[in-house]
Amino acid sequence: MKYILIRLSRSLLTLIIVVTVVFLLMRMMPIEGYFGASFDKLDEAQKTAKLNNLGLLDPWYIQLKNFYTDILKGDLGESITYRPKVAITKILGDKLITSIRFGLASLAVSLIVGLSLGIVMARFKGKFWDKLGTCYVVGANAVPAVIYYLLIQVYFTDIFKLPLLYSKSDPKSWILPVLCLSLVNIAYYAMWIRRYMVDELNKDYVRLARAKGLKNKDIMTRHVMRNAFVPMAQYLPASILYTVSGSIYVESLFSIPGTGGLLVTAIQRQDNTLVQALVLLYSSIGIVGLMLGDILMASFDPRIKLSQEGGSR
Amino acid sequence: MTSKKIINNMADNIDPSLFDFAEYDESKSELTGYSNYSFWRSTVQVFMKNKVAVALLILIVTVVLFTLVQPYLPNQKSPTKIYLDPNTGLQYRNVQPNDEFIFGTNSIGQDLWARLWSGTRTSLYIGVAVGIFEAIVGITIGALWGYVRKLDAIITEIYNVWDNIPSTVVLIILTYIMKPSIPTIIFAMCMTGWLQMARFVRNLILIIRDREYNLASRCLGTPTGRIITKNLLPYLVSVIMLRMALAIPAAIGNEVFLSYIGMGLPVDIPSLGNLINEGRALMMDPSQRYQLFFPAAVISVVTISFYVIGNVFADSADPRNHV
Amino acid sequence: MINNEIVLSIEDLVIKFNLRGQELTAIRGASLTLYKGESLAIVGESGSGKSVFTKSFMGLLDANGRIESGSILYQGNDLAKYKTEDEWIKIRGKEIAMVFQDPMTSLNPLKKVGRQVQESIELHQNLKGEEAKKLAVEILNDVGISDPEIRYNQYPHEFSGGMRQRVVIAIAVACNPNILICDEPTTALDVTIQAQILQLLKNLQKKYRLTIIYITHDLGVVANVADRIAVMYAGDIIELGLSEEVFFDPKHPYTWALLSSLPQLGIKGEALYSIKGTPPNLFKEIKGDAFAPRNPHALKIDFEERPPYFEVSPTHKARTWLLDPRAPKVEPPLLIQKMKEMEVKRGEGIE
Repeated sequence: MKYILIRLSRSLLTLIIVVTVVFLLMRMMPIEGYFGASFDKLDEAQKTAKLNNLGLLDPWYIQLKNFYTDILKGDLGESITYRPKVAITKILGDKLITSIRFGLASLAVSLIVGLSLGIVMARFKGKFWDKLGTCYVVGANAVPAVIYYLLIQVYFTDIFKLPLLYSKSDPKSWILPVLCLSLVNIAYYAMWIRRYMVDELNKDYVRLARAKGLKNKDIMTRHVMRNAFVPMAQYLPASILYTVSGSIYVESLFSIPGTGGLLVTAIQRQDNTLVQALVLLYSSIGIVGLMLGDILMASFDPRIKLSQEGGSR
Repeated sequence: MTSKKIINNMADNIDPSLFDFAEYDESKSELTGYSNYSFWRSTVQVFMKNKVAVALLILIVTVVLFTLVQPYLPNQKSPTKIYLDPNTGLQYRNVQPNDEFIFGTNSIGQDLWARLWSGTRTSLYIGVAVGIFEAIVGITIGALWGYVRKLDAIITEIYNVWDNIPSTVVLIILTYIMKPSIPTIIFAMCMTGWLQMARFVRNLILIIRDREYNLASRCLGTPTGRIITKNLLPYLVSVIMLRMALAIPAAIGNEVFLSYIGMGLPVDIPSLGNLINEGRALMMDPSQRYQLFFPAAVISVVTISFYVIGNVFADSADPRNHV
Repeated sequence: MINNEIVLSIEDLVIKFNLRGQELTAIRGASLTLYKGESLAIVGESGSGKSVFTKSFMGLLDANGRIESGSILYQGNDLAKYKTEDEWIKIRGKEIAMVFQDPMTSLNPLKKVGRQVQESIELHQNLKGEEAKKLAVEILNDVGISDPEIRYNQYPHEFSGGMRQRVVIAIAVACNPNILICDEPTTALDVTIQAQILQLLKNLQKKYRLTIIYITHDLGVVANVADRIAVMYAGDIIELGLSEEVFFDPKHPYTWALLSSLPQLGIKGEALYSIKGTPPNLFKEIKGDAFAPRNPHALKIDFEERPPYFEVSPTHKARTWLLDPRAPKVEPPLLIQKMKEMEVKRGEGIE
């Protein structure tokens, strides 16, 4: 119990530092951004007034204090430039749900296809399927994702007659976006489980199981696979939580109203409150996800006691 | 005590003089275990066995050489000049690949072939620069991190914080503050990239300090210099080569990303990112798809080559794979 | 013991491995007969081929290894001809079981210990569920684990090294095999635990009527448990005989060298004996006697022709030209004679 509390407080500290750093970075941005096109037309007094209104002329520690007290009240603030005066929680609401939906669908597809592919690759190590799978993994990892997203959008819409853009009413419009989102993760899971299975197959306890007279099939299911999922459990909660962030590429290419481009747009429009809120959100997710992952893994692996020391990640 | 033969009649025909004692040479008995193993030679040997990697190496060297040589070849056009049709005086917009324009032209009449190779030069330059700077910064910080015990805690905290800030945020903010240009992009990418390298180097230093074979070397009185060159350097170099080889595809990816969100290099500097963006605008028109296709093909070739070469080299440098 | 029935008969076994494009001959024509109910020790240095030899009886060779020639006869079947998993499944566990060297890694760290024993039972003894569990607990008790019902539900990391090895033995015994192969069963354990484990194996041998093969490089272990000893060098069995014969009347120069290396024979104040040189490179073909380059008593013919087996007694044979009638008479080194004297004295002491 004590260990969990210590980890929580350390994570909290990291979180605060992260948000503060981003806070300060945002304040370093040129002030033109707050005014947009009207910058040249305003005079000094008007500019100062607006900046004051936005609370940007207070000393930075006052700004920071206000920010944190607001958060504790559950108030993430209002958007400044993106959708002025609109509560951020409202802006995020719908978008989060959309991104999460796509994220979860993609996660499911990635897991199923990726793990199956990896298992096949391990089974036929060195032969055709393994080589084919490796080509796929190399392609997915090396080439910048946007390239094949674009190519998919261009050619698959032609060949398979699939809808170009996402629309709520058309289930077929889900296919291409989910496919794109899954590509990289499939490669990741496939390589991961392949490596794991190949490694485990050389371990002593597998040799003993074979010496006992267990069939290869049973060794796989009863010993190896079950053990393989333990390390995976560590990253699963984080993966699920990260679905909130959405992919900027996929969402913009297919016009999905999710959180994908939100962070980028917010930074470009210098909507400080929105940026801060988003960074807070993403960082907390990362930290919480890791913690959950550790706990999940500990529950699967009897060797891990939560009182062990953790190093840097 | 008598002894009976169990097998064979063949033994009857043996020359009796063979039953004399042979000369016993103690030093000869030690000879059986000689080997002339050389780490780097074995690494190269294993690398050469991988036909795909070797082919890609030749390919990428050719491509790089070509990008450097291309402007000096005859009949090359300028990447920024806008070409006008001599008959009509109008710009050669969106002309599909033909004899004059090998890769066609873009929407304002610039030669895509020249732009593509110019862009590749730029992107490669960025990638290499990022790789080198990342290496320098990463190694320095990593070495301090691992070697000076007092700094370990502080740097670990810094690492944790920096790791948790989404790298896109840093990238975009820095680029925005400093206005996109080649040096600023390089700087921004280094800021996010040094983490991995520092981490590798730090783990490496810890290994030097703690691994038993290094302790054993020190006990045997091996001078530090030799420990560094024989124990540490081979591992370090292979790790660094891998990171640098992977830095190039990563840098290209980041640059494409920045261009995509409008924070890339100014349009007058051709880069692979800009070209993809331009191609993207026209991609739904089948006759204009070449504008997307050619940059995409070049990016794929370059990134895949570096990725494969880097990984195969790292595998080859692993002594467990040596003959 | 020799008059008992033969349970396993290996004839001229040759095993090769493909390693990074080259071929390694790990076993170069070894022959052995195993009698029911005996304890046979296979002794040799690291790399002599002891493990590879016995693994081939169960089809556990690595993927790059193969049986090139020779036969392994068991109950009328030639195991050397087995190729498919289905064939080997009939042998593994059920007929021949193995205990590995390192108890730390031999057990699945994420499975309860009792379940791992129960798995053997369910595979080979036609019991399931509760009945299998009861038998598992009983076997855990037999191997000397106290509070077996509680320990059944524990994980390997909750056991000490010696305890884990007992569990591994339990798993093997639970298969109800005819032959038990123990590959360096005590090497990874403390000296005090070693004696316990060896005693345990002796007891189990009686109770379950097992034939045991011990693989070891530790002559102390051998002296403790073995009825017969086979000495292996460079993939060949160069001497085979009853325990007393091999210890007190060894005939092969390698056996002399091996026994001379025992620290107990050293004279205080003098350097300990050690064999010069290293075992030969098995990638190359070996001409003559493999031990010849390191053998101070080598004859010229040792470098030319491989020695056949020469019989010293109906139970004792050795592969050395020194036993040929045409060879000069060579006395075993002083240290060996010393050992004989020590044993005689000890025997007198008892009386």
